[in-house]
Amino acid sequence: MSLSLNEVAAQARKAARGAGYSWGMAEEAGRAARWLCAQGLDGCGLLLAALRRADTGGPGACPLAAGVMLSDGAAALSTASLAYRSVVAPALILPFAAGAAQALDRPVTVAWEGVEAVTDGTALSLAASGDAVLSGATDVTIRQGGTFAAPRAVCGRATPEPETWAALTALAERTHAPVTDGSRLRGAGAGLSDND
Amino acid sequence: MDVPAPMQVPCRPPEQVMRLKRLGSMHQCRLSFMRILTRRMAREGWRFARPVFDFDARGVGRAVYSAHGPGRTYSLVAFGHDLPPEMRSDRVIATAWDATFTLFDGVPTAADLDRLSRNVPLQEAGRVSERELSVSRANRSVRLWDHVVAALADGRQPEAAELGAVGYLMRTTAVYGSGKLGAADYEALSDRPEFSAPFQAEMLSVYLTRTFVRDLVNHLARVRGGARAAELAPDLARGLGIGNSTGLGLGPFIINHPRLFNNWIATREQAIARVRALPRADDAAQALFRTVLAGAGETVANWTTEHPVQAAKLAALRADLATLEAHLSGGVLGGPQPWDRLLTWSEGALSEEGQELLASLILEPHGALVDDLEAGMADTAPDAFRIDGAMPVGRLRALIEDRFGWALGLDWSAPANCARAWYVSAEKLEPRLGERFEEDLEPYEQPLAPARDAAAAHAALTGWDAEESVAAFLLRHPEHRHIVRRMQIGAQAPYAEVQDNTIAADMFPVDLLRVKLAFFGATRFDPRSDRWLRIAMYQGAPYPEELAPDNADLWVYPGAVR
Repeated sequence: MSLSLNEVAAQARKAARGAGYSWGMAEEAGRAARWLCAQGLDGCGLLLAALRRADTGGPGACPLAAGVMLSDGAAALSTASLAYRSVVAPALILPFAAGAAQALDRPVTVAWEGVEAVTDGTALSLAASGDAVLSGATDVTIRQGGTFAAPRAVCGRATPEPETWAALTALAERTHAPVTDGSRLRGAGAGLSDND
Repeated sequence: MDVPAPMQVPCRPPEQVMRLKRLGSMHQCRLSFMRILTRRMAREGWRFARPVFDFDARGVGRAVYSAHGPGRTYSLVAFGHDLPPEMRSDRVIATAWDATFTLFDGVPTAADLDRLSRNVPLQEAGRVSERELSVSRANRSVRLWDHVVAALADGRQPEAAELGAVGYLMRTTAVYGSGKLGAADYEALSDRPEFSAPFQAEMLSVYLTRTFVRDLVNHLARVRGGARAAELAPDLARGLGIGNSTGLGLGPFIINHPRLFNNWIATREQAIARVRALPRADDAAQALFRTVLAGAGETVANWTTEHPVQAAKLAALRADLATLEAHLSGGVLGGPQPWDRLLTWSEGALSEEGQELLASLILEPHGALVDDLEAGMADTAPDAFRIDGAMPVGRLRALIEDRFGWALGLDWSAPANCARAWYVSAEKLEPRLGERFEEDLEPYEQPLAPARDAAAAHAALTGWDAEESVAAFLLRHPEHRHIVRRMQIGAQAPYAEVQDNTIAADMFPVDLLRVKLAFFGATRFDPRSDRWLRIAMYQGAPYPEELAPDNADLWVYPGAVR
């Protein structure tokens, strides 16, 4: 399926909220999924892995929490590198590394087993063996600097697996209030007939 | 010779402008999105064509209307349907319509049209692609439609009074843009000059829809009346716009897009301040102001509504226009700083409807002074705001106190202050407004009460040292991340926040809808309840074959263009 990036961002935000994140964190999830899809990566699948961990209380560290710590505390990177243990779907840290790179006005390098990714704040340069960029839970290091090689081509559309999208949709639907006859009439307020 | 020193007039402060009642009293102006579009198309000499128009006697078929700009072509693809009356609903949750539309990027091939014919008529249940820029639908105004077709088929023109009472032959019930239903993202189009102002694709779609509607009514009259049939007279056609029914779905938009909303309001306020700073009004400016004031007066005279709130505002506005007329006869326009004096006077003499109409009207003679501001109305990266974690919490606290100081002393547990909750229903993905104490809505509440949330964050900041970082605060309090982002956006965007409680028991939701529709360029606001309204768009506008620089701008004022 071909989705607009706005559809991805909107659904990702709602799905994160449905999985129990605060609205502010859910907004970060929406931005992160969009950013990854724009880099041609499976932002939807990566986010789903993170949300499933949060929803079921699974093992590993939350990449969204790690990401906002990195982005909010970007200044700390100028004096020391950061390491996170056992991060689920670690590629979700990349959009936040881009934010940190913007704040520092320097490239930021994110590495985990089989992957070295460098972002200059907008683009991403990725060296990865096989599917390592989509790996499950692994240790991650983040440092300021790095050699920015060729930026990845930017994508205007997202093409998640249908099952992935369906799972995000199911999480997003948890944010919808069940309908009652009373709310149906009262809530939106429009009339029922347009025959005038 | 004395040369007066150039005067600086500050923009009106957010505490004045951003009150919900005032936002709900705003009117279109020359920076409204419809008018930006028609000016551009005329200035650039856009050409229009109708390569496809294929309808049967019931109005079932398809049409393509192409607009050729200097660099690109856009085409409205229209599908006509045979809709039984029992299915005609203007609610957003309807499933069938008299006509459905998409705006296509380029000129569609036969294969494109076949693909679109399988999806566009389904609206939300269909899918479009990055080649489509909008998806919309419309229903006939049944009473007027039947009258017009019958009259024309009989070789007569319809009654002008009937046309004026409704103002349009079809009304849209939703116009989806930017990425919705699979359409192209605005972010991917925003570097095209024709889309540098907000909502230009949607406004173009509606403009061409109006032409389609006129052509379809002529077609059906011809089918029915044969050689006897008349064409709708151009002057009558011009008086018809496109209607629109807008429900609560639009309400949260201005809250969900604080930076974009700021840009709209700030642009208009800057334009007003520039005009207020003028030392004199020359004869031409005075004459043009008189012309648009007379036109606005005619629109106000023809504006009808049955809703008690709007009816009272409308009565006050009519009185305002008489008060203004009397004041103008005193010669204020011939004196120094006339526009500033006029607006200052209005704040003590007119209702908010009258003040805001006047503020819009004083811009009209001054296109050369203010139209360049339209470049600042868009927000090309609405999701891109990154929280500055290095900000000291003392600064965050000051931002909250500056913007929401009025909200900090409110008792946010008092039912009157939090009676409502915004939520999205499971039935259709549309925002609704519920009663917090009567329904179980809190688990589903949307973050659409910035004043309450800011007060909560302010309370959570109690005891934090001013030098500690926002990053440290958010690590402890991720639940405040949403409002912290808003407050940081607002630090550079003074008009980002509505200065009222959006969940209060006495909040009038139509106010949230009206301000957005005014920036679109809509007129004749007609609330049908406290949470939905009908409007008119493009009423008075020249049709594509008539569009020219001398009629592309002031068409919204009856009598201002020939």
